[in-house]
Amino acid sequence: MEIEDEIFINAPRDVVFKSLNDPDILKQCIPGCEELTKISDTELTAKVVLKIGPVKAKFSGDVELNNDGAPETFSLTGSGNGGVAGFAKGGADVQLIEQDGGTLLKYVAKADIGGKLAQLGSRLVVSTSKKLSKNFFEEFDKAVTGGDSTPDDAEEKSGFWNKIVGD
Amino acid sequence: MNEMTPPKEERSEALKGLGCSRKRVEDARFTQGKGNYVDDIKLPGMLFGDFVRSPYPHAYVKGINTDAAMAVPGVVAVLTAADLEPLNLHWMPTLAGDKQMVLADGKVLFQGQEVAFVVANDRYAAADAVELVEVEYEELPPLVDPYKAEIEGAPILREDIADQKEGAHGPRRHPNHIFTWEAGDKETTSKVIDDAEVVAEETMYYHRTHPCPLETCGCVASMDKVNGKLTVHGTFQAPHVVRTVASLLSGISESNIRVISPDIGGGFGNKVGVYPGYVCSIVASIVTGKPVKWIEDRIENLTSTAFARDYWMRGKISATKEGKITGLDVHVLADHGAFDACADPTKFPAGFMNICTGSYDIPTAYLAVDGIYTNKAPGGVSYRCSFRVTEAVYLIERMIEVLAIELDMDAADLRRMNFIKKEQFPYQAALGWEYDSGDYHTAWDKALEAVDYKALRAEQAERVEAFKRGETRKLMGVGLSFFTEIVGAGPVKNCDILGMGMFDSCEIRIHPTGSAIARLGTISQGQGHATTFAQILASEIGISADDITLEEGDTDTAPYGLGTYGSRSTPVAGAATAMAGRKIRAKAQMIAAYLLEVHDGDLEWDVDRFVVKGAPERFKTMKEVAYAAYNQAIPGIEPGLEAVSYYDPPNMTYPFGAYVCVMDIDVDTGVTDIRRFYALDDCGTRINPMIIEGQVHGGLTEALAVALGQEIAYDEMGNVKTGSLMDFFLPTAWETPNYETDYTVTPSPHHPIGAKGVGESPHVGGVPCFSNAVQDAFRAFGLKHTNMPHDHWRIWQTANKLGLHD
Repeated sequence: MEIEDEIFINAPRDVVFKSLNDPDILKQCIPGCEELTKISDTELTAKVVLKIGPVKAKFSGDVELNNDGAPETFSLTGSGNGGVAGFAKGGADVQLIEQDGGTLLKYVAKADIGGKLAQLGSRLVVSTSKKLSKNFFEEFDKAVTGGDSTPDDAEEKSGFWNKIVGD
Repeated sequence: MNEMTPPKEERSEALKGLGCSRKRVEDARFTQGKGNYVDDIKLPGMLFGDFVRSPYPHAYVKGINTDAAMAVPGVVAVLTAADLEPLNLHWMPTLAGDKQMVLADGKVLFQGQEVAFVVANDRYAAADAVELVEVEYEELPPLVDPYKAEIEGAPILREDIADQKEGAHGPRRHPNHIFTWEAGDKETTSKVIDDAEVVAEETMYYHRTHPCPLETCGCVASMDKVNGKLTVHGTFQAPHVVRTVASLLSGISESNIRVISPDIGGGFGNKVGVYPGYVCSIVASIVTGKPVKWIEDRIENLTSTAFARDYWMRGKISATKEGKITGLDVHVLADHGAFDACADPTKFPAGFMNICTGSYDIPTAYLAVDGIYTNKAPGGVSYRCSFRVTEAVYLIERMIEVLAIELDMDAADLRRMNFIKKEQFPYQAALGWEYDSGDYHTAWDKALEAVDYKALRAEQAERVEAFKRGETRKLMGVGLSFFTEIVGAGPVKNCDILGMGMFDSCEIRIHPTGSAIARLGTISQGQGHATTFAQILASEIGISADDITLEEGDTDTAPYGLGTYGSRSTPVAGAATAMAGRKIRAKAQMIAAYLLEVHDGDLEWDVDRFVVKGAPERFKTMKEVAYAAYNQAIPGIEPGLEAVSYYDPPNMTYPFGAYVCVMDIDVDTGVTDIRRFYALDDCGTRINPMIIEGQVHGGLTEALAVALGQEIAYDEMGNVKTGSLMDFFLPTAWETPNYETDYTVTPSPHHPIGAKGVGESPHVGGVPCFSNAVQDAFRAFGLKHTNMPHDHWRIWQTANKLGLHD
């Protein structure tokens, strides 16, 4: 599964780049993130609660950051294990382009999932992943530009379909 | 005949015997929710088992930590392979001569494989603990595509047997190769095809699917440590075989094991095999001394217990310019999953795939089947068909259509030209079978006339023109199929499972007041045995079917039999029932002769009584004879009236049928609309026409499912993509069309009552018929073949590729 999207962030590129490496900001922005611990400059461990359709599980995993292309590109890879719910692994390549005084963030995310998540959620995985990535970058935008960074609960609870797909 | 005796017809009707559309006696309890299924069984102190399953299709198991799971209140035990190893039960033999892990022994080979078995006081505690068992996996690359099994660098799946060059069915050429099975004459076939005037070739995939019975698999194992007796209630299509296997595996004497199949909510082949859940429940009961229940959930059923099909088939068929078929060459790549656990008679690793010459007089043929291991669930059962017969019939019925395209001929004419003729029966087929009887031309002509075939083709041609003129966006398909089933496995001389000959049995006791109980070695899963077998017996012994109780499924009371699958109950156990009935009648005749003071040769049988020849006023009814058998001292004759018969069939039976499906297809949405479905079945002597019709409706609906959408699909990572009923297609009343049923009667010459079996025919004939309808709709636009399942998306793609959206 591959997701491609872009988002404009009203902040200079070096600020955006720095924020992408800041565990506190990341923790705020990753949907369902309960713990994010920095092991080294490029290694993190995380605990994330993920819900896809009828499957809800706590994933624990490792994240590795790659800053070699700083500040134009940034990439990360990670894998997580949710026990009986299955597992997930993937990564994202992010491009940061200076634009109109802000930064255009383009990303290509790849994810492979396995286990019950894949069995039950195959038709929900793409839509859920898109939504989660979107949520992440929206939150990220707020965090970087100083906007209100609390999750938009009102939106989450609205709508029959959202209740069905559970994300 | 005196005035007191009702006329023959009236007495005959009162018996509700052969040919009577007697209402199903089972339905009173089923329709009132009073059935007794495995999950209804609740024993005192019963524990519940649940599996930890692998999320990975291929991985090493580096460690299992059960501490957190054991700490959950109510958890009694967590079994792993290490616990089963001292009992030598961490692996078990499969029905196909391979072995299978009961619990992951250092490695997992398919997603959903059983890794640990949690036993707890209730289901909730077990489910909670399952989540807390920590398993450390080391992921390995999965093998999903059987065509990549033998390429260089392919992952080796079965490291336990990687060095074995010889398998249960001959030489193995690669660690991922299971067997090569051949039938027919390779050299002559290849020469005939090389020299032929016309050759058609096609590769087709008969996708993996699943029987998906309404009730999933399950059992309750109960070890009585005081008496040393093990009782297992379970969803078993073959309870006696389960008892024998349980005895061989556990070392417990067969006389101390009682296997009971209660009411079963559908089997369709899924409940033939022996699964890790049964073994783990038995072990857990032996260890804890308490009954242990295990019931699969739907995901577990679809992803871990026996799948069906998964055959990649390549056919080459040759003919003269006029359309007379001269040869058939077939190669199959059979994806068997992680363990070879196919449920076939032992000598037939690809089942009866060698029935693939179908209903046609094909002088020369050759078949080779290669079995391959992949990282998918094991199984390979015959889902509502005799062993691999759906695959065989699909292949030949598609090859006929492809040949018709090659010859630019009408497919109905091509079939008619090549049918085995009535006078050729018994017919010796090129791939080894002897067809017992048939009258294909009569059935075919009746079917084509019933649907007005010529008019359908004319309408179709007009529709194509209208489509081309842009007046409609709907195409019309006329699907044809003519099938020959091979059922009633089978003669002990060539059919056995794990060495057990595939006979079946019936035991009858007539009670003093003239009612009776019959017990059989088979087990109904919805087929209505209690209704139909009583009818067979009613006609044989002259006691009303309403006065005959039928019992199956309890190995302590029923005679040994090989169970119910492959449409074998009527051909084998039905024959045993008739034969046991005849034994009863033979003894009854001697008793009647004594009572009437005549020689037994002076009596003749008249529906429900023995009558003195030439003196119809002198008779004894079966009821009177039964009373005398128990209450009158008759010199030279033992008291009582009982009989048992073990029937070893001399041959299979060969039911056949002619089906026509008329379908409209919306080219822009891929939506199919079945306008008409006509099914003519010839199952020989018809025992209960209403039950036959019900079986045909059910079989056709499952055929519709398989042809139009039902599949077990894996992604390239080895995930099951269709693991729940959200994605796995089960037709409802909404998708199910109206069916028209019809029949001809060609009795089996060797079966005591001429019956052949029908439960699976509609599935076997139905799948190619639905598929042919879809493919036929696009024939005018150049389509030769497209693989099932024909769901809306795939049909849309077919139309798109043919340029019909341009």
